[in-house]
Amino acid sequence: MSGIIPFLQDVLAYWPQILDGLLNTLLLTAIITVTGFAGGIGVFYLSLSRSREVRRFTEAYISFFIGTPLIVLLFLMYYGLPQWGLRLSPLAVAVIGFTMNVSAYNARYLTSAYKGLDPSELEAARAQGFTTAQVFILIILPQVLRLSVPALTNQAILNLKDSSVAFLIQYTEFFAQAQELAARNFQFFKAYVLAALVYLAMVSLIVLAARMLERRLVLPGA
Amino acid sequence: MALIEVRKLVKQFDGRTVLSNIDLDLEEGEIKVIMGPSGCGKSTLLRCLNRLIEPTSGRVYFRGEEVTLPQTDVRALRQRIGFVFQQFALYRHLNVLENVTLGLRRLRRMPVKEANEKARYELGRMSMLTHEDKYPGQLSGGQKQRVAIARALAMDPAVLFFDEPTSALDPLMSQEIIGVIRQLRRDNVTMLCVTHDLHLAQGISERAIFLDEGVVHAEDSIERLFGDHEDPRIREFFRQGNGPR
Repeated sequence: MSGIIPFLQDVLAYWPQILDGLLNTLLLTAIITVTGFAGGIGVFYLSLSRSREVRRFTEAYISFFIGTPLIVLLFLMYYGLPQWGLRLSPLAVAVIGFTMNVSAYNARYLTSAYKGLDPSELEAARAQGFTTAQVFILIILPQVLRLSVPALTNQAILNLKDSSVAFLIQYTEFFAQAQELAARNFQFFKAYVLAALVYLAMVSLIVLAARMLERRLVLPGA
Repeated sequence: MALIEVRKLVKQFDGRTVLSNIDLDLEEGEIKVIMGPSGCGKSTLLRCLNRLIEPTSGRVYFRGEEVTLPQTDVRALRQRIGFVFQQFALYRHLNVLENVTLGLRRLRRMPVKEANEKARYELGRMSMLTHEDKYPGQLSGGQKQRVAIARALAMDPAVLFFDEPTSALDPLMSQEIIGVIRQLRRDNVTMLCVTHDLHLAQGISERAIFLDEGVVHAEDSIERLFGDHEDPRIREFFRQGNGPR
């Protein structure tokens, strides 16, 4: 195995592509974290519907996407849909697939937090004359989001790590470029250690931000 | 004309009758206490009046207007009724001031400054002004209940409903709430209170309605209800350690 200096020289030479991959990883992670968050809130809202059919559909949605490997969904859309004449870009497939999957997980976290709410608060809000939507926005959502911060930030970390799966549908994200670097100089061990360290650094940043957020959101006397 | 008139109100859950042909009048400025054992239908009655629970049949009139019609504006009705709950039901993510102003800002569309002034006035009446920045988790049970009353009063309701307001409180805090309700009575606030706490009933009213198994058994002076009443159900209820302290 050759020394570290030649490897770093290779990294420097390949740096534009690595940076490009890193930006693609961050772009995908940012998009699916936001869309998955919004989707999770939407699915959670539907899970509280007065209609039994809507509640059943929502539960089926959550169970389906939690129970199905994400890679199957991505392959289905990227390699399967063109057979029906629908061809989507790797980023589009990744965003749609991840959003559906992450929304299901986020909805599950929010539903679990909702079960911990005091039902009398919701009854008090209805008794005050608030609409169902107002009760959701003013009373339920602020509380379940606060209670779900650890789960939601863990999901953001998972989004970052799982985004590497997107290289299997030709999305040239960071891991795809690390793979490319390894293939160029055959320094597989060093290239993958580098990839792991970069992921770890990015995850650490999310963890730090999450801890700050949790400290800010803690309620006095709670 | 009574503020609230209830006529032949019936509520059934899965064929089981919880309220049976309830008739009730509540005059402006009056305080009425409804007593009875747990599960007798007291809380269901309150919730039927503001339609948190839909009555099976019967009619409710609010200042002469029937409010049990399908086209009744239920939200407008609820805004005219202040509701105080057994478990306080303060919004735990909001501080005391925000708990009181939320309805003013979002339902009455009151500007923040005006809502804060109104809320501070009601918190002052409840001696809770110095706690306006605290969160529910930092308050005692009695303090929480006083904030809940201030929250209800801030909406200028026509009537205040109390659902077992002292059940979750120790005797000292119960006394605190009894004092508050007495003060509201002096201020001519119309109130309907359901409770099985005889100490509370005796402290705030001279008369009470006895409800048992969804049926009004008697409306009488509290002294007569506490005494050797001719109705065996009433005698039994007051013998079970519920007598006046």
